[in-house]
Amino acid sequence: MNRKSIFGLAAAALMATTGAFAEYPEKNIHGIIQWGAGGSTDTVTRTVSKLAEKHLGKEIVLVNRPGGTGVIATTYVNSRPADGYTLLFGAENPQLYGVMGLSDLSYSDFYPVNVLARNVPVILTHKDAPWDTMSELLEYVQANPNEVKMGSTGPGGLSFVVDNMIQGVTDFDVKSIPFDGTGPGVTALLGGHVDFMPVGLSAARENIRAGRAKALAVLSTEQIEGFENTQLITDVLPEFKQYLPWGPFYGVFVKKDAPDDVKQKLSEAFSKAVKEPEFQNFLSNFGAIEVNLSGEEATQWLNRWQSVTTWLLQDGGAAKVSPEELGIPRP
Amino acid sequence: MAESMFGYFTMAWLDPSLLALTALGTLAGIYVGAIPGLSVTMAVSILISFTFSWDVNDALALMVGVYIGGVYGGSRSAILLNIPGAPSAIATSFDGFPLAKQGLAGQAIGITTVVSVIGGFVGIAVLAMAAPVVSDVALMFAPRDYLLLALLGLLLVSSLSGESLAKGIFCAALGACIGMVGMDPMTAEGRFTFDTVMLLGGIPYVVAMIGFFGVSEALYQLHHIGLKPIKQDVSKIIPSWDVVKKYIPLSIRTSAIGVFIGALPGTGGDIASLMAYDHAKRSVKNPSKPFGKGAYEGLVAPESANNAAVGGAYIPMLTLGMPGDAVTAVFIGALYIHGLNPGPMLMLETPHLFWFTVGNLVLANIFLLIFGLTGIKVFAKMVEMPKGLLLPLIIILSVVGAYAINNNIADIFWLLGFGVFGYFLKMAGFQVGPIILGVILGPLMDTSYRRAMISVGDSPMGLMGELVTNPVSIILSLCVILLIVSQTPLWKSIKARRAAGKSA
Repeated sequence: MNRKSIFGLAAAALMATTGAFAEYPEKNIHGIIQWGAGGSTDTVTRTVSKLAEKHLGKEIVLVNRPGGTGVIATTYVNSRPADGYTLLFGAENPQLYGVMGLSDLSYSDFYPVNVLARNVPVILTHKDAPWDTMSELLEYVQANPNEVKMGSTGPGGLSFVVDNMIQGVTDFDVKSIPFDGTGPGVTALLGGHVDFMPVGLSAARENIRAGRAKALAVLSTEQIEGFENTQLITDVLPEFKQYLPWGPFYGVFVKKDAPDDVKQKLSEAFSKAVKEPEFQNFLSNFGAIEVNLSGEEATQWLNRWQSVTTWLLQDGGAAKVSPEELGIPRP
Repeated sequence: MAESMFGYFTMAWLDPSLLALTALGTLAGIYVGAIPGLSVTMAVSILISFTFSWDVNDALALMVGVYIGGVYGGSRSAILLNIPGAPSAIATSFDGFPLAKQGLAGQAIGITTVVSVIGGFVGIAVLAMAAPVVSDVALMFAPRDYLLLALLGLLLVSSLSGESLAKGIFCAALGACIGMVGMDPMTAEGRFTFDTVMLLGGIPYVVAMIGFFGVSEALYQLHHIGLKPIKQDVSKIIPSWDVVKKYIPLSIRTSAIGVFIGALPGTGGDIASLMAYDHAKRSVKNPSKPFGKGAYEGLVAPESANNAAVGGAYIPMLTLGMPGDAVTAVFIGALYIHGLNPGPMLMLETPHLFWFTVGNLVLANIFLLIFGLTGIKVFAKMVEMPKGLLLPLIIILSVVGAYAINNNIADIFWLLGFGVFGYFLKMAGFQVGPIILGVILGPLMDTSYRRAMISVGDSPMGLMGELVTNPVSIILSLCVILLIVSQTPLWKSIKARRAAGKSA
C-alpha cells in the first residue's frame, strides 16, 4: 500500500464517521450578548456559558453587541441562519420592544433554551433619607406630590416599570430622573442626588449591608433571605400582588426554526450548567434567583411576563403601541 | 494587620507565577492598546472567560497588567501614526505626531513612558492612601456638576482649534451632533436615526476618532507620497534625569487632574487627558516647542493624566463596587464570577484584595517602565516605512479596529465616511481634535443638563440657585467663569498692562 492510498483510506474513514455521527455541535458556537462588558447580563452570560461548554463539548465564543437596549444584538441573531450556531444571551428588554415601538421582534421569535435566573426588585434609598419603610415613603410622596426624586434607568427599564406598577395601584407622583444604567443611578442615590430608586437585589444588597443604603420594600410576595425585616410591597399595597412575581431576568435563546436535536442538546447543556454548584454560588453571590426553565414552560413564563408588563405600561399611558395591536392578551 | 497588608501588597512580587502573569499582561496590554479599536475593555472581558477556572489572584494579576499596559499603549500609535490607540490618547497625538514628523518619535515615546509611570504611581498613591475620602468627594458630584465639568471641558475648544476659533467651535458642535445619534438615553426615542436599527445604537466615538484621525491622516499624507520618510533619530531614547526632572512638576499636577477625573464614575481617562493638555497649554509659559508643533509638555500632560486615571478608576470600584470606567466595570464582573462580592464591604471584608491590587498595580507600572523603554527603536523605525506600504497598513488597521468595537459592518462605513470628510476638513484648515471633544462631551452635557433640570422641577432659576449654594457646584462654576473671563480681550489687555507695568 502506498502513501496515497493510506491517506485516501483515512480520509474516507473520517468522512464516514462525520457523516454517520454528525452531531451538533460540530464547531464552536457564537454567543451574542445584548449588553456591554461588565453589566449584569454580561456577567451572568460569561459564568453560565463557561459551564455549558463542558456539556456541549465545544466552545461558546462570546461577543458583546450592545446598543438600543439590545435591539441590535437581537436583530443580528435573528438575521443569522437557524442552525444553532448563534445564540442570543439577553435580558428582559425584547419583551417590551413591541409596545415601546423599538422593533417587531420579541422572544416569541426565538426558542428559549433556558431562562436562567431572575432578580427581585427592591425599593432602595440612601442612608440619610427620612424614611425607613415603604409606608413612610408612600405617605410622604402622597403628601408632597412631584417633589421626591426617583432614580431610573430610562423608559422600559426596571425602575420605570416598578414606578408604573405603584402608580397602577395608588397615587404616586415623583420626579423620575433617568440614568445610563443601574450603576450610575445607584451612585447618584448614594450621593443623595436622588431620593430613592427601584433596583434589582444584586445592585442593592452590598450597599445595604455596608449601611450606605436602606431597603424600603421588597417586591415579592414572600420574604427574601437577608431581608426578613424589610416590608413586603404586598403588605403595604395588597393589590400589588397581581403583578408578582416580576423582575428582570436573564436567558439564552436560539432561533425558533433551529432543528429539534439542536434545541434539545442546548437545553440539556444549559439546564445542567445552571445546576452546577459554581453557578449556584454565583447566583447567591449575585443576589439572583434561579429560574432554569426551557422550551414550553419557559415560553409560558415569558408570555406571562410580557402580558403583565405590557398591559401595565399601556394602562399607565407609557406604551407607544397597544399590546392589543400586537396580540398580547391581558393578564 | 499592617504586616498582613504588606504581605498582600508584595504577594504578586514574590510569587513567580503572579510576577510572570503581571509581566505578560503588561506586555500584551501595550500591543492591544497600540492597535486602534482593540480596546482594553474588550481584552479584559475576553480574559474573564479565559481565566474563568483560574485562581482569582492569577486572573486579576493578568488583567491588571493588560489594563496598565493598554492605557499606555494607546500613546504609541498616537505618536507614530496620529491614530490614538484609545480615546485617552487623543491629546497625545497633538504634539506626539509632530515630533515623529521631526524624526523624534523615539524621544517622544521615551518621555511618554517615563511620565506614564510617574502618573501611574501618583494614581496608585492616591488610591492607597486616600481612596475612601476621594470616593466620598466623588459621590458629591450631582448631575449639575457633571454639566459644569462638561462645560469646562468644552472650553478646551480654544486650546484645540489652531488658528481659527470659529472653525474649532464649528467642529465641536459637529462632534456633539455625531454624539447625539442613536437612542436618547433619557426617553428611548431615536435621534437622527431615520428609523433604521443600524443607527439606534449610535455611532461609537472610537469609530469617529479612528476615522477623523487615522483615515483622514492617511489620505492627507497621499499628498506627500513621493517624499522620503523622515529618518528617525533613535540614539537618545531614554530621557536623562535632567530632562525628566524638568517635567516632574507638570507631570504631578496633571496626574492630580487625572486621578480625580478618573475617580468620578461619570468621567474617565479620555476627558482627564484632554483637560490635562489644556492645563499644560495654559500654565506652561515656555514650552520646548510651541504647543501643537511638538512640545514635550504636550505629551507629558495627557500621558501622566491618563495613567493616573487608572488608579482613580479603581477608587470607586474598590470602595463602593461602582465602576470608575468601562474597564473597572468588567473587573467588577470578574469579581462576581470569582465568588467575591464587589461593593462597599469589599474593602472591609477582604482588605487583602485591596492591598493585592495596589501591589499589583505598582508591579505592573514597573514592568511598564521596562517594556516601554525597550523595543522603541523597532517601533520608531515603523515610521520610516515607505509611505506606499505604511498608508494602506493604516487603513487596514483602522478598518479592523472599527469593526472590532461592536462587530458592526455599519461602523466601517462611518469610519470611511469620517475619514474622507475629515480629509476635506483638514484641507480647509479645520482641526479634528474639537470634533472628538464634541463627541465625548456633547452627550455628557446633554444628559447631565436634562437630569439637573428634572431634579429642580424644570425651573432654570432653581438650577441657578443650586449652582450657588452647593460647594462643589460653586467651585466648578467659578472655574468655568474664570476660564471664560481669562479669554476675553479685556482680561488680556489688563494682563498685558500689568506685565508692562512690572517690567517698567
